[in-house]
Amino acid sequence: MNWMLRRARETDLASIMELETGTFGTDAWSDEAMLSDLASVHCYYLVAEREGFPGVIDGYAGLFAPRGAREADIQTIAVAEVARRSGLGRTLMQSLIAEARSRGVEEVFLEVRADNPGAQHLYETLGFQQIAVRVGYYQPDGVDANVMRLAVPEPCLRPAVGVTPSGADAHGALVLGIETSCDETGIGIVRGRTLLANVIASSMDEHARYGGVVPEIAARAHLEALTPSITAALAEAGVTLQELDAIAVTSGPGLSGALMVGIGAAKALAVALDKPLYAVNHLVGHVGADVLREDGSAIELPTIALLVSGGHTSLLLVRDLVSDVELLGETIDDAAGEAFDKVARLLGLPYPGGPEIDRAAIGGDPAAIRFPRGLTLPKDLEHHRYDFSFSGLKTAVARWVEQRRDAGQEVPIADVAASFREAVTDVLLTKAINACREFGIQRLLLGGGVVANARVREVATERCAAEGIALRIPPLSLCTDNGAMIAAIGAQLIEAGCSPSGLSFGADSTLPVTVIQA
Amino acid sequence: MLLAIDTSAGTSVAIVDRDRGAIVEHGEADTRRHAEVIGDLVRLCLVESGIPIAGLSGVAVGMGPGPFTGLRVGIAAAQAFALGAGKPVVRVVSHDAIAWGHYAAGGSGPLLVVTDARRREVYWTVYSGADGEGLPVRAAGPGLARPDELSAVVDGAAGYLRLDAEEVSASSVGLLAEGLFLHHREFVGPTPLYLRSPDVTVSAGPKRVSR
Repeated sequence: MNWMLRRARETDLASIMELETGTFGTDAWSDEAMLSDLASVHCYYLVAEREGFPGVIDGYAGLFAPRGAREADIQTIAVAEVARRSGLGRTLMQSLIAEARSRGVEEVFLEVRADNPGAQHLYETLGFQQIAVRVGYYQPDGVDANVMRLAVPEPCLRPAVGVTPSGADAHGALVLGIETSCDETGIGIVRGRTLLANVIASSMDEHARYGGVVPEIAARAHLEALTPSITAALAEAGVTLQELDAIAVTSGPGLSGALMVGIGAAKALAVALDKPLYAVNHLVGHVGADVLREDGSAIELPTIALLVSGGHTSLLLVRDLVSDVELLGETIDDAAGEAFDKVARLLGLPYPGGPEIDRAAIGGDPAAIRFPRGLTLPKDLEHHRYDFSFSGLKTAVARWVEQRRDAGQEVPIADVAASFREAVTDVLLTKAINACREFGIQRLLLGGGVVANARVREVATERCAAEGIALRIPPLSLCTDNGAMIAAIGAQLIEAGCSPSGLSFGADSTLPVTVIQA
Repeated sequence: MLLAIDTSAGTSVAIVDRDRGAIVEHGEADTRRHAEVIGDLVRLCLVESGIPIAGLSGVAVGMGPGPFTGLRVGIAAAQAFALGAGKPVVRVVSHDAIAWGHYAAGGSGPLLVVTDARRREVYWTVYSGADGEGLPVRAAGPGLARPDELSAVVDGAAGYLRLDAEEVSASSVGLLAEGLFLHHREFVGPTPLYLRSPDVTVSAGPKRVSR
């Protein structure tokens, strides 16, 4: 049995009272008292509606948390007999605690009948501690009340059992994703695993003359592009802002000033629409892009994931998209995309370097020059088994080119480009496939803008086939930075029953990949 | 009734009404926490005032001058809130709001408003006074200068009352916007008043690595 949690309405009164009187008998609340709570802005009541049975309420719970107060009370909670032992009570409680947290509450209090050890146990496992006893509190039975207190914990990720959060229908939650971590303003809309819109406004051309992304230029461009892109995405998806179930935004890693534009907008939009907000890790977003494949085949986990872009080069072990991502290694200096840009520049090719190097390499011999493979020597592998380094490679290419020029010889651009690209590709795939082998995981997922590079895809395909590794590459439009992948992770978090992030998170330029949701 | 936001210095959020004045205002003076606090402050103002979003007629925002990173957070938030609420955005010069506050509190005459621009520079704007509606009349600026250059850059600086402001009140932003609207004055455009170009240098070409 599944339930949808949603805010209780006054029209739910009859269903709630039926459960209330059935559960609490003689000390049940009156209709008037319940109605007054349901209508109060200081209260937050949820009902659990049985999926497929509109109007059937199998549980409800209420929180009293006046805005600005640091203390809140669990007013009531009840779960119908048929729905017990399903985790519904726990999920209701977690949702109330999450709401308390988002209202700035530091302590939550409740009273529980001394003769109800089952409920006491649930509250204890949620972190409540008994602090007092009110003698004879429950009348007319004369049963004592145990007063319990919870110091509101930091949000943690804990998938709920069989519960879909409010609004999300059987096809998944409708989520708008906002991505502004680098030079692309990405707005995506997904419903569960289905891509509805993917609008990207890039400031790449403005950075071209500087040979790399200029953070301040990127941030200014985000501010200009953001609201028009949201409007465009809504039109593309054919949905309205009011229909959204949630908003997701990249909170890191990335350029701080750029991230803050998206965060500021996302928070204000969430408040204006009264929608939950999820702060999502950009790198996990790249992995999440794979759930939006058109063929609909679900991503199989665990998988090794290789994310390669202008800002990142990371090797991940993904056991669960919303709760378990491990960083195996990353670049210790330049990102692979950055190396492409720098080598393109020294060959006199424009920015961005990836596609230029690809073009220049046509007809070149990838084995013409043996450029170094960073961090692949046995002594390096001891400490940097899955780490990457491209700075030395870039310098080696520069030195080789300079020597040719100093000697008055022509530089064979095609051979240099092909050989450099081969060195990058080789080290990326060698380490990724080693990880697959050493962790016994026969799956590799590629993500990030560098995946657009034809040779990277080619070598990945060949080597994975040779090793019997299943290779997944999300559609290219979802490999570069985009908002749809952020929305996809948002939808996955909702599906797993994770609480929203609240409104107090900030931009974290170095957010570790293990922090999937900020 | 307007929701007003200014992040040109700290973060300030308010709800104002032409007749009732400032209804609620909340702020964070820390100039490095705009992104963290903006959402909570907006929500707090709405909840505390009890004013439904549908009851707002628009969103007013200070467009600077102010340090870039923080300034953008408020503008992005104002635009997104307006989009979500289906309301228009009106934009004012943040210094005008400071001057409006000065004149509304009984001040008069020529005024030099100065705020921190970091990097040992200041933003400045001069006002000749308030007009008959109490609205500040900008005479020059906003501009950017080193503090020791101010007297040279601002004509007759010595004759102005100098007001060094560390905060910009969103209530002033909102009430100034109400006044501008009421008296059919112009708002400023959607381009933030950065007054500085991004820090960039066009590369002189790759550096030589071998000797």
